Amino acid sequence: MLKIEKLSCSLSDSNTNILDDFSLELKEGEKHVIMGPNGTGKSTLAKVIMGHYKYKVTNGDILLDGESIIDLTVDERAKRGLFLCMQDPTVIDGVSNSEFLRTAKNTITGEKVNLYSFIKDMESSMVDLSLDTSMLHRSLNMGFSGGEKKKNEILQMKVLKPKYIILDELDSGLDVDSLRIVCDNINKYLEENKKVALLIITHYPRILEYLKPDFVHVLKDGKIQKSGDINLAFEIEKSGYNDIDVGTRIDIDE
Amino acid sequence: MSKILYILDNNKNNEYEYDISEDTIIYHFSINCSCNVKLNLVKKDISLYYYYNNINYDDNEFRISVIHSKSNTHSELFNHGVNVGNNKLNYDVEGIVPKKSSGCVCNQENQIINMNDGKSIILPKLLIDNYDVDSNHGAYIGKFSKEKLFYLMSRGLSLKEANKLLLNGFLINMDSVDSSEIKLFIDEIEKI
Repeated sequence: MLKIEKLSCSLSDSNTNILDDFSLELKEGEKHVIMGPNGTGKSTLAKVIMGHYKYKVTNGDILLDGESIIDLTVDERAKRGLFLCMQDPTVIDGVSNSEFLRTAKNTITGEKVNLYSFIKDMESSMVDLSLDTSMLHRSLNMGFSGGEKKKNEILQMKVLKPKYIILDELDSGLDVDSLRIVCDNINKYLEENKKVALLIITHYPRILEYLKPDFVHVLKDGKIQKSGDINLAFEIEKSGYNDIDVGTRIDIDE
Repeated sequence: MSKILYILDNNKNNEYEYDISEDTIIYHFSINCSCNVKLNLVKKDISLYYYYNNINYDDNEFRISVIHSKSNTHSELFNHGVNVGNNKLNYDVEGIVPKKSSGCVCNQENQIINMNDGKSIILPKLLIDNYDVDSNHGAYIGKFSKEKLFYLMSRGLSLKEANKLLLNGFLINMDSVDSSEIKLFIDEIEKI
């Protein structure tokens, strides 16, 4: 289980909390959604869970399978099964996609991956994602379109086989066909790995029609103001955040 | 088809002077030494791609001068250095287009990565005496970006592994390079 307990955090060089007393539990196999107006801390939440250098935890804890991870380095969190699909994946010139993926897989699995079988596996996964296999040999995210970058993130997810996946606005920059393809790949992965938990950060319900979440939460002023099912997302799409009654917080355990 | 030239300097200061008379790619690898390079484009309509990749442990200096002696010549310089210790590393990079040479392209991109607290200086110079020239320069001195390290580490790579991957990409950044020609240099990257 990924448990976020009364978490408060700020930028490293600031004392103003972005998340304030934020709590959430992702049990095995659950799919949760975080929605909220711009600037309420959705991406901050994703980055803080992953241990991004720009943020500091000022209070609370993040527990992964019962153990605190806030003192762990970024790579140690990844090795424990966390995966952040980034909103704007970083371009790294000179490092090829295949070299990076193979090094990452070697590190996560602790085994030396055979180059030939690795390339064959990659090519098969890339076909599933409708990605040109020549992208394996290009610099990481260099010259990739917005859609290709997002598909490449999902390719990495398939290779590294995480237990907890955070999708930070996966749907931004994806056309309708690409969105369907990446969601099909995520669903297939979840089908094959039933204990994997998913945290989806999004502004739009379309991705949720594919991924079918169990819970939708509205984040405002640094904490969850309202929780519900997928209908809450449709309500937000229809009426916006201002018309959402945040006075009636629903506890997801109830 | 371009002529390809490999240069590997290992702990010994060197000077090179070439007249370039055909399309040429130069891969210049250097381990801990100073170097002085003079390249003269002596034939019209030719191009030069020059890749300098340098690992540095002591105080060293790299000087390069590219002279466009003929019209419609094209030069692209990519100078990448890694300053490993707390030492000085100076790059003095000069592109010269005299008045008689028109229609030239004279570009340079220079980067030094400081692994520790070394003092690095880049002097990018474009001495252009002709109006019909396309010329650009870029210079960066600093450490590997934290965002890149975060991205790599978020996929399970340790800081050391992430730095190594970035070093390889930074210092051997050409798809076409023949790694058998620079085995010594590749081995040196492993030691950083």
